[in-house]
Amino acid sequence: MPIDAKVVHDVAALSRLQVDPSEEARLVKELASILSYVEQLQALDVSGIEPTSQVGSGSKPPLREDRVKPSDVRDEALAQAPDRDGDYFRVPRVV
Amino acid sequence: MSDAFVLESAEAIGRSVLSRERSAGDVARTFLDRMDRTAEQLRTYLHRDREQTLAMASAVDARIARGERLTPLAGVPVALKDNLCTRCVPTTCGSKILEGYLPPYDAHVVERLREAGAVFTGKTNCDEFAMGSSTENSAYFPTKNPWDLERVPGGSSGGSAASVAAGEAPLALGSDTGGSVRQPAAFCGVFGLKPTYGAVSRYGLVAFASSLDQIGPIARTARDTALLYNVICGRDERDMTSRAEAAAVPLEDLERGVSGLRLGIPRDLIGEGVDPEILASLDRVAKALAKKGAEILDVSLPHARYSIATYYLIAPAEASSNLARYDGVRYGFRAKTDDLQAMYAVTRGRGFGREVRRRILLGTYALSAGYYDAYYLRAMKVRTLIRRDFEQALTRADAILLPTTPTPPFKIGEKVDDPLAMYLNDIFSVPASLAGVPALSFPAGMTKANLPIGLQLVGRPFEEATLLRVARTWESENADAARVPRLLSERRS
Amino acid sequence: MSATGPATESTAGAGARQDRYETVVGLEVHAQLRTESKIFCGCSTKFGARPNTQVCPVCLGLPGVLPVLNERAVRFAVMTGLAVGAKVAERSVFARKNYFYPDLPKGYQISQYDRPLCTGGGIDIRSGGGWKRIGLVRIHLEEDAGKSLHPEGREGVTTTRVDLNRSGVPLIEIVSEPDIRSGTEAYDYLIRLKQILMYLDVCDGNMEEGSLRCDANVSVRLKGQAAFGTKAEIKNMNSFRNVERAIAFETDRQIRIVESGGRVAQETLLWNADKGIAETMRSKEEAHDYRYFPEPDLLTLDLDPAWVEAVRSELPELPHQIRDRLTRDFGIPEYDAEVLTETRSLATYYEEVARRSGNPKLASNWIMTEVNGIRNKEGQSIEEFPIRPDRLGDLIKMIATERISGKIGKQVFEMMLTRPEGPDELVKAHGLLPIDDEGSLRALAREVIAANPGPAAEVRAGKERTFAFLVGQAMKQSRGRAHPEKIQEALRKELGAG
Ligand SMILES: [Mg+2]
Ligand SMILES: [Zn+2]
Repeated sequence: MPIDAKVVHDVAALSRLQVDPSEEARLVKELASILSYVEQLQALDVSGIEPTSQVGSGSKPPLREDRVKPSDVRDEALAQAPDRDGDYFRVPRVV
Repeated sequence: MSDAFVLESAEAIGRSVLSRERSAGDVARTFLDRMDRTAEQLRTYLHRDREQTLAMASAVDARIARGERLTPLAGVPVALKDNLCTRCVPTTCGSKILEGYLPPYDAHVVERLREAGAVFTGKTNCDEFAMGSSTENSAYFPTKNPWDLERVPGGSSGGSAASVAAGEAPLALGSDTGGSVRQPAAFCGVFGLKPTYGAVSRYGLVAFASSLDQIGPIARTARDTALLYNVICGRDERDMTSRAEAAAVPLEDLERGVSGLRLGIPRDLIGEGVDPEILASLDRVAKALAKKGAEILDVSLPHARYSIATYYLIAPAEASSNLARYDGVRYGFRAKTDDLQAMYAVTRGRGFGREVRRRILLGTYALSAGYYDAYYLRAMKVRTLIRRDFEQALTRADAILLPTTPTPPFKIGEKVDDPLAMYLNDIFSVPASLAGVPALSFPAGMTKANLPIGLQLVGRPFEEATLLRVARTWESENADAARVPRLLSERRS
Repeated sequence: MSATGPATESTAGAGARQDRYETVVGLEVHAQLRTESKIFCGCSTKFGARPNTQVCPVCLGLPGVLPVLNERAVRFAVMTGLAVGAKVAERSVFARKNYFYPDLPKGYQISQYDRPLCTGGGIDIRSGGGWKRIGLVRIHLEEDAGKSLHPEGREGVTTTRVDLNRSGVPLIEIVSEPDIRSGTEAYDYLIRLKQILMYLDVCDGNMEEGSLRCDANVSVRLKGQAAFGTKAEIKNMNSFRNVERAIAFETDRQIRIVESGGRVAQETLLWNADKGIAETMRSKEEAHDYRYFPEPDLLTLDLDPAWVEAVRSELPELPHQIRDRLTRDFGIPEYDAEVLTETRSLATYYEEVARRSGNPKLASNWIMTEVNGIRNKEGQSIEEFPIRPDRLGDLIKMIATERISGKIGKQVFEMMLTRPEGPDELVKAHGLLPIDDEGSLRALAREVIAANPGPAAEVRAGKERTFAFLVGQAMKQSRGRAHPEKIQEALRKELGAG
């Protein structure tokens, strides 16, 4: 899969990352080098192999009982907000 | 008070505090003074607060005075990697995007340590969001290797490992996603344990790659490593992936020797490109352990050589999602803009450093429509093969012995412009992360250039005790006074 | 060219051409589960709290937090699946749906993707004279997002406010097959789905508070054509009636496009209830790439088949089951049974009245007309309705056994709405007992004849039509208490005797 400036641009948009035009060329090069390295996986036969998304061993823990457990962190947490409007977090208007 | 005891074991320090031979306050002051002298050279901490540390220590003294039963870690200074949440104490993960962030809660391990009576020295430097192998990706400054100030301490838990090696704290916590505890431990000449996935609750560990992340202890002795592990391991109901099987390791088990244990060496993985001094060390240790009654055999990990490729799809994919929350809405850095989309892009573009942005892009790409099957899904299937390799090898052997890194610590700046070369440095640590099995890096001597060599033991799930026992056996006869970094011995005299 | 057609909801002009097309609709319903705490943390799910008070590190998406699955949320989702005949997966998998939005704290929603909790099943709706099954694709568990408050139309307001109280509230998403063919069918489907959820008591069904939300995928095709047309997704419909209207609107719009030689664009539309139109929200080009992948912080959800069977055995009786039982046991028409099973409590109410009165059909009539009449007028639930089933049952029994007439019954019913006494007491206290003894009836007849000498003479002269007048006068005089047949007999006798 050739990676070019357009791909980097699209992926950056999807990631909500501003990419400086001056970094674009370097990013294309670095990502291409990593992606060409990972191409080695294509050589493996993985037919019939189940994917592993987790590696937990041992007995599964129980689910959480449905019980309200109020948290005391609200004010501390809200104090971290870059911008607030009273009790609300505030952001530039969603178009 | 002199700082003669800063290189004592945590076990000894804790014992002396419990027996009231020394107060926790005295211990804390000694280490704080020590840090004041080493800070400039090593730059191990992102955040230190002398008053906070002393307050914690005097609280411990008060508890002891009240007759509270404390653990062996009472009054023992512990350094915390800066990706562990500490209530009201800055937690930045080495990133500008979290500059000034004060978590409103403690990580599970932090809670456990507080209860145990440990005293926090501060928050140690790390690669931004734990992404790196040299601590050069910290958004703030790089940390130096105490054995050679021109070299990296490894990463991403470089600050924690360097701090312990330099005697700034007898113990530290790091986090290990693909080797981030073990590799810096190896580079700094200390012990670093990556527990079994699920052995330690991740609650309050800022996520990098959730299916791989584990918090692990860093210490200067095998027994100290066990002591710290014993405090943090076990089931926590706030982490569904944490397991009840994780049990404390009785210290006396560490003294049982290796007689009858089968140690497998994966010769097929340890191929070219490994430093000859590290290979020689591997042979030396294997021989010594054989002499002690261990059986040394060959095991095969045929898919482990695909680990780096697998890891650099899975970890960035999970990271791209885990790091989506840094959007400038609720906490952390926000770029000033009038437009929401611009706010996201500029906040994240400026708030994240190069390596983090690179991995977010890579991970987003691997998960995006059209590429998922070829990249992410395939990587998960290869992960299955790698996991099976370990299962099979660990039916033949009780533990696997291999190097932690292919080379001794490299120079600062040497690999920063070649991400792939940096990644390949993790070839021996990543396989155990992908398989979720426990792995321990232990100091196994020095190179001729007086740089630490670390070897690694990998075991079956929840058999951390076996790894510590093997390492302890080696350590008990090879404990090396030369393990004290020269820079510090000079300063001491 | 935007596919948002003419800005009216009118179907004028489509007419006969419209008959050549059929609408194909699939619905995605999000239902909030009635748990105490959120799906992945211990915060309360109560509606209406002060902004950002029901939040914790987990649902604020702070660095380092992890989700822990709520057992009751799983149970409720499984109950729903079993109630609609879906297959409950022994293993299902949570996945992350990645997108950026200010009210989505983690930058992803934890949902289920390729391995949902339930698959298949269906809901039967009315169609023509009979029934039609709307198949279900899946039911899966997910978390809700928070709430963004956009200042509407206020000039110069440049910010959005975010409240995360709802972030992490448990939802099930119920996805139907594209089996629905009209807005009316969609409406009936939603009514019946809501009814099932409420019978199970897993959702409060409150659309105003957002506990039930619906998106519609709408396309049109020529009748007889097998392939589906390009679909548009309509969002933001805040009532079942609006869903019905939006589908009708969109059907018309798409037919117009196709008829005029155009192509329907794949896009997402927002229903504007005030204007009665669906407006473009985003086109396919702007569509999200959600980058789903398995949620590593949660384990696979493995359900023991024995546990699932235990949940099944504890399921309450469902509307269709009660409907069948009522028609079978009480012999009432299917139509009645359907009205009476609208809610579980109404059905229970009816059953008690039917048993107590001894006349199920009369009980049904009374509830459907009198009781529901009052409730609709007053906006009361059956629980709020002042006459409890024992009292109503007694009243109907008095009517059924002809102790009182239906007319008196209605008077007593009116009194019972505001008074606590039973019908028997009220009848006695107000002298409403029927007059049916010979002596009283004859006396009443004499009174009426005496008061109406002219009409009495007419009847005696053979003018039968006037007899009804005298009967009416007797009923009036007795305030309806006179036994209708017996008073005629008495009048005849008195007229004859006179
Ligand atoms: Mg959904
Ligand atoms: Zn919460």
